[in-house]
Amino acid sequence: MTAQPLPPILVVDDNQDNAEIIRQFLEARGYSVIIAHDGDEAVATFESVRPILVLLDVMMPGKSGWDVCRLMKQHPSHGRNVRVIMVTALAEWEDKREALQTGADDYVTKPVDLPDLAKRVERNLALLIPSR
Amino acid sequence: MSAGIVLTDGGGPLIPEAIASLRSWEVETRPAAEMLAAIDTVPNLRAVIVTSDDPSVQRALVERAHARRVAVVMACSDEASRRRAVELRADEWYRAPAPAEEIAWRVQSAVARVAPSGAELAQRVAHVEYEEMLYDALTGLPTLPVMIEHIRALFKDRGELAVLYLNFVRYTKIEEIYGWEKLDGVLETTAAAVREFLDGNKLRATKMMVSFTNDDDFIFFHVPAKDAQAATERDVTDVAVRLQQHVGARLEEAHGEEIAALVDVYVGSAHVYYNPKIRLERLIYRGIREAANAAKGVGERERARRVADLRQTLRERSVYVDYHPIVLAETGAVFGFEALARGVMRSLRSPEVMFDVAAEADLVWELSRLCRARAVEAMATRLTGDQLLFLNVDPHDFADPTLAGLEVADPQRVVIEITERTAIKDYPKFRERLKVFRERGFRFAVDDAGSGYAGLGSIANLEPDFIKLDISLINSIDTNFIKQNLVETMVRFAEEHGAMVIAEGVERAEELDAVKRLGVHLVQGFFLHRPGRLDTPGLQEASTPLAREPA
Repeated sequence: MTAQPLPPILVVDDNQDNAEIIRQFLEARGYSVIIAHDGDEAVATFESVRPILVLLDVMMPGKSGWDVCRLMKQHPSHGRNVRVIMVTALAEWEDKREALQTGADDYVTKPVDLPDLAKRVERNLALLIPSR
Repeated sequence: MSAGIVLTDGGGPLIPEAIASLRSWEVETRPAAEMLAAIDTVPNLRAVIVTSDDPSVQRALVERAHARRVAVVMACSDEASRRRAVELRADEWYRAPAPAEEIAWRVQSAVARVAPSGAELAQRVAHVEYEEMLYDALTGLPTLPVMIEHIRALFKDRGELAVLYLNFVRYTKIEEIYGWEKLDGVLETTAAAVREFLDGNKLRATKMMVSFTNDDDFIFFHVPAKDAQAATERDVTDVAVRLQQHVGARLEEAHGEEIAALVDVYVGSAHVYYNPKIRLERLIYRGIREAANAAKGVGERERARRVADLRQTLRERSVYVDYHPIVLAETGAVFGFEALARGVMRSLRSPEVMFDVAAEADLVWELSRLCRARAVEAMATRLTGDQLLFLNVDPHDFADPTLAGLEVADPQRVVIEITERTAIKDYPKFRERLKVFRERGFRFAVDDAGSGYAGLGSIANLEPDFIKLDISLINSIDTNFIKQNLVETMVRFAEEHGAMVIAEGVERAEELDAVKRLGVHLVQGFFLHRPGRLDTPGLQEASTPLAREPA
């Protein structure tokens, strides 16, 4: 790892085991990962760490993933440089419309299929990096 | 000053090397027995690296560190140790031995994610939220509470203040038609244009601005410079006119004339004089209300003028039709044209504005009839034999008896577009009405499909031949994977129901590539063609977008 390290990926999930599985999987692929366990922690971490990609669980106690997504996307300085992948069932048409409202960029369905997750992380980062 | 101290109970030379690579961090190594005391006493301690394998030592250190809000990184030499790290909620762990870069990274990440807990966490989150409330995310302009503090002293000193209220109308229409992302872009352009205008203006000396977050009105305070006079009514009127022109020009540059024609700015003003008996905030609020009312008055006068314009338009039948080509995604060949009626008068150029005015004056049917008649006129002479004409018909128009009598030589070549946006309440009755037209040979398109939350069921209900996707789904579709998924679903649905999907609002090459890749059958948009008269050169030609100058 001699190249400039990438800004980290923030994984937000109230379920510790899920978060840990995703973290190990992504780290094994060379990404740096930071975990937050609820919406407030996610917003605070977002502020201090400035991740370029957020994997955001929708169903959490307290602030929902949608609220967190909205807050991140509206952040005055960093809102435009972050891509948000929602982790959710999102089977229904209406849910996807809702997701667009919050500014989310992509979604993965639960239960998370790890190879699929890797694909989505890759394609979202690919859109971010050359434009910087 | 150092950024912080990292404390460790050993772990070999790699740890000091790792910390040395982090700028301005320092490391202290203490024997295991002294660690607990050190966590309590070392100043500016930010992180602890625990290398011990002893479960009870690990537990004690993690707990003490967390009690002191210090980040913990565990160096785990085996699987059991790693599991404990997760159990104890160490902020980070690594499999020892690890390279110095990894250790450095783990420490940084642990420090970043030591979740501030309780009150501090709430405070930090609240701070983020407040900041977003006090400054508009899009325009970066301060909101009223911030502004009042800024002008308090100045206002007191100079004794007077002019308030200008800029009321931008039909911005909500942009959101309805193009989606919020477009409106965000338009607001950003607007704010930049307003700022730019003020910079080059004589009100420059003491300008200040405000916006309501996520809304579309701007307020602007002008406190006269020390030796200058406050703005007179005349100045304000003058400013209003030029401002409107400036914003209009910038919007046209950035977003095209369709959008620029949609937007109007009404400016109202009020003067406020300092009065020590009255609280300054209330003086300012009062000024804002007055200025807003004045802006509203300007708006009403303007609307009355437009209704008169519309009546004249109807009398003189001065409506013309622009035709916007719809092309096959595969070949680019022109498949048909959407008819877009426009007023000849400048104030009624935009069809949205024209129909808005008609709705206010209760003249919608009259206007619709005129537009339909005009659109159909050119069909026989100008369209080639297999090209279709797409005609916008509002669901309410189906109650108009003259629609049923629409005279068309070749109904098979007319596609009636029905917008999904106007809620259709009584589906069975509406389908009855459509049936009459279907029997005569007309075809149907659902316009703005996917604009609301309504799912595919309501579209299926109308049994359309064409499904026109809502513009907001196409805007930036190349970078939004949720939109891609929705469009893919729509294409599959259409194919199951024997319909074709049209993507409108294609403005960029990337968007065209994306919709083609998703299997969309037909496309329409400024990237391919601009709407024009049917005799406009190039309008009938297959689109060769890459040879065209960029929009």
